[in-house]
Amino acid sequence: MILIGENIHIISKAVSEAVRDRDSASIQALAKAQARAGADYLDLNLGPARKEPEEVASWLVDTVQAVADLPISLDTMNPLAMEAGLKLCRKRALLNSASGKAESKEKMMPLAVKYSTQVVISVITDQGCPPDVDSRVESIMETVAYANGLGIDNEDIWVDPIILPVSADQKQVREALEFVRILTDLLPGVKSVVGLSNVSNGTPAPLRGILNRTYMVMLERNGLYSAIADVLDQELIDINRGGLNDAKVLIHRVMDGEPVDADTLPEKEKNYVKTARVLMGDALYSHAWLES
Amino acid sequence: MEYKAPLEKYTGRIREITLGRGEKSLKIGGSSILPLHHFEGNAANRPVVALEVDDNGAAGWAGSAVEPFKDVVNDPVKWGARCLKLGADLVCLHLEGTDPNGANNTPAEAAALVKRMTQELDSPLIVYGCGDDKKDVEVLTAVAEACQNSNLLLGPAVKENYEAVLKAVADNGHCIIAQTPIDINLEKELSVKLLKQLPPERIVIDPLSSALGYGMEYSFTIMERTRQVGVVYGDAAMQMPVIADLGRECWKTNQARSYGEQGMLWESITALSLLLAGADILVLRHPDNCRLLKEAIEGKI
Repeated sequence: MILIGENIHIISKAVSEAVRDRDSASIQALAKAQARAGADYLDLNLGPARKEPEEVASWLVDTVQAVADLPISLDTMNPLAMEAGLKLCRKRALLNSASGKAESKEKMMPLAVKYSTQVVISVITDQGCPPDVDSRVESIMETVAYANGLGIDNEDIWVDPIILPVSADQKQVREALEFVRILTDLLPGVKSVVGLSNVSNGTPAPLRGILNRTYMVMLERNGLYSAIADVLDQELIDINRGGLNDAKVLIHRVMDGEPVDADTLPEKEKNYVKTARVLMGDALYSHAWLES
Repeated sequence: MEYKAPLEKYTGRIREITLGRGEKSLKIGGSSILPLHHFEGNAANRPVVALEVDDNGAAGWAGSAVEPFKDVVNDPVKWGARCLKLGADLVCLHLEGTDPNGANNTPAEAAALVKRMTQELDSPLIVYGCGDDKKDVEVLTAVAEACQNSNLLLGPAVKENYEAVLKAVADNGHCIIAQTPIDINLEKELSVKLLKQLPPERIVIDPLSSALGYGMEYSFTIMERTRQVGVVYGDAAMQMPVIADLGRECWKTNQARSYGEQGMLWESITALSLLLAGADILVLRHPDNCRLLKEAIEGKI
């Protein structure tokens, strides 16, 4: 699976301060660490970029490209920041993201055409995030058709089903999983991408990793192409490189509804099985899901 | 050909919990069906109705709710006896007087009162602290020790203090009220933590009850899901009876305070709704509503 490093994210206090102070060294340290860890792309998340959008985007892209020879996934809601950053990307960039919102169709998608980028298109519309598989399908068919009309090929579209936290809405975890499974049948040639760590948003920090990793295995089995993820999580990288095969097999069995006797397993495998059950919606989530 | 309605078969069963000792004891829970779905099978024990008493002279209570008890509100023992005489299955004491922002009664005073009530009343006793999580630890510990083996239902144990409350309950042979703020995931988390130290037969879930017009539908949904997850999906951490401590919530609404008959309606409608959602213990303030709810539970209305 293609991994997009998520760690240069404006929500992080350290990143936010580094951007404010134009502290190149901190940003470059994060970029190098993620490149070393094995990221295929680096996500630069500027959020809404209200202050000096163009200056910030240009500075950030230049700062990162000075030390990392990786393509960039430029992540901002602000079209001015997006354009300023895309102009400077040396490798073919990923515009992250466009959606079915009228404003996004009007202002973001044309930038993908103008700068010949690949583009993330989410299932979000002006009505919000569609609540189930069918409405996600309806939304993405419409939005992708619009993008095709602008001249963007399916092969350059990375569809984002929108991952919601398991602690907030357990049912949505399964809906997104199912959507990924049927996506390429619906839209041949499109790729898929998720904001993986969203699944564990709201979960106590020490427990987030296993949720992210388990969900990655589940999504990959359903055909996921790429994930914006915490590439500094060594176990996640190991899994992506073919490791932890025993755990993977067990997660697949839980997905297939096969009986698994978790109590007889070693601690690590047991925890992956419990996590898979929670993500499949077979067991009610609580922060203590590994303890019961 | 005779029509036979299809019936669902469930895998889970709510634990049966015994409150009190000997002749005074009362069983709750034990159901393997959805609330009031008697056609589905065995409900084991019907839901019970408690009437509320406090140790603070009914300070702040709406007039209509005090009326049936106005001559006894300064004596919680007599007040409790009146509740039982007027039809309550058991008594629920709220130790409002221990509130550090109010009368600030000491843990020893509270413990002495509860002990007297267990000796003189012919029913099991539910005891709630004032809701200050630090003071509650002191008060509930003193109560638990003073009434060792009376098998009280004690709480609330909340996220902030459950370890200490759990110890007091476990060491002294009582049952615990696990309270969480209208959130199914937090509810399960607290259950999981408590179950490490206490058998499920000694835990009652309080998902918090809100009054009609003040979020009752949220409480309804959580109680309904609690029962579904426990009975239909067999989740062992959710197979405990539910308490709906709703009288106080209803009688503090402006609607109840402004007009007594409206208060009666507010309490009875909220209670009926939460009964349908799956509450096993209803805590009310007005004896007429206690009678009404018992009739509903017995299928007379």
